[in-house]
Amino acid sequence: MLMCRDLARIASDYIDNELGTAQKLSVKMHLMMCRDCRSFIGNLRASTDLIQAHSSYKPDPELVRRIDEQVAQALNAKKN
Amino acid sequence: METATHQSDESILIQGLRSGSEADFQKAVRLYTPGMMAVARYYLDSASAEETVQDCWVTVIDAIQKFEGRSGLKTWLHRIVANRAKNHLRKNKREVSADFSESLDPELANRFAPNGRWATPPSLRFEEDAESLMENGALSDCLDQHLARLPETQRSALMLYEAHQHKSDDVCNILDVSASNLRVLLHRARQKIFLMVETFQETGEC
Ligand SMILES: [Zn+2]
Repeated sequence: MLMCRDLARIASDYIDNELGTAQKLSVKMHLMMCRDCRSFIGNLRASTDLIQAHSSYKPDPELVRRIDEQVAQALNAKKN
Repeated sequence: METATHQSDESILIQGLRSGSEADFQKAVRLYTPGMMAVARYYLDSASAEETVQDCWVTVIDAIQKFEGRSGLKTWLHRIVANRAKNHLRKNKREVSADFSESLDPELANRFAPNGRWATPPSLRFEEDAESLMENGALSDCLDQHLARLPETQRSALMLYEAHQHKSDDVCNILDVSASNLRVLLHRARQKIFLMVETFQETGEC
């Protein structure tokens, strides 16, 4: 019998569809009976959506400036 | 996440890079540096990672001539960074350390009763979708802080898999981890983000 803690351990595998048929079935059975785990799975899924939607992962402008400079130098060196 | 998704956009960009267009390099640098940093940070400290990514871009000027386009530009760039970062590690005789032994976050593990049921169940209900949640600037800032606090290995795995939408095989390849260890890294990182969002929804504080 799958307990809530066991389900929490494999929750990401369930979300990403990485479980085998038997395990997937026992997770589904558990979720039918357990509201807390339904909530956990829903929240974990939402957390992953949140990371995907998180667009503020931008490069450091200072690093970008340095790279631009180096690339421009190397390009010019090639031309000459 | 902004990436050159259309095949045609990507081939135009590649053409530009091949011809040595400075403008196209600037465009590509902005598009791909975040992902490249995520790869480099898995292996290296912040300063060495920046150095490695910088060097990679200079290498790309020549290497792009030999790029065959089988893997897509992003994956190709990520592999270049990974190889360089691994060489750097070898030279400095360092190793990447990560804990793959337990897939449950310790804080979350404390929320179960001895019988394996929830003692402190998840308190929140997600009614909003992720896009509208992100419009909450405070939550977005909080997410930044928590992502920054994740162990490098977890953050890199999360970024490559989630934000840069790599396939598992690619991430395993780039980060040199087994499929099962990647699952642990991803799950641990997601639990941390879950706990963060829960606290934020409950208290309004990060
Ligand atoms: Zn349960």
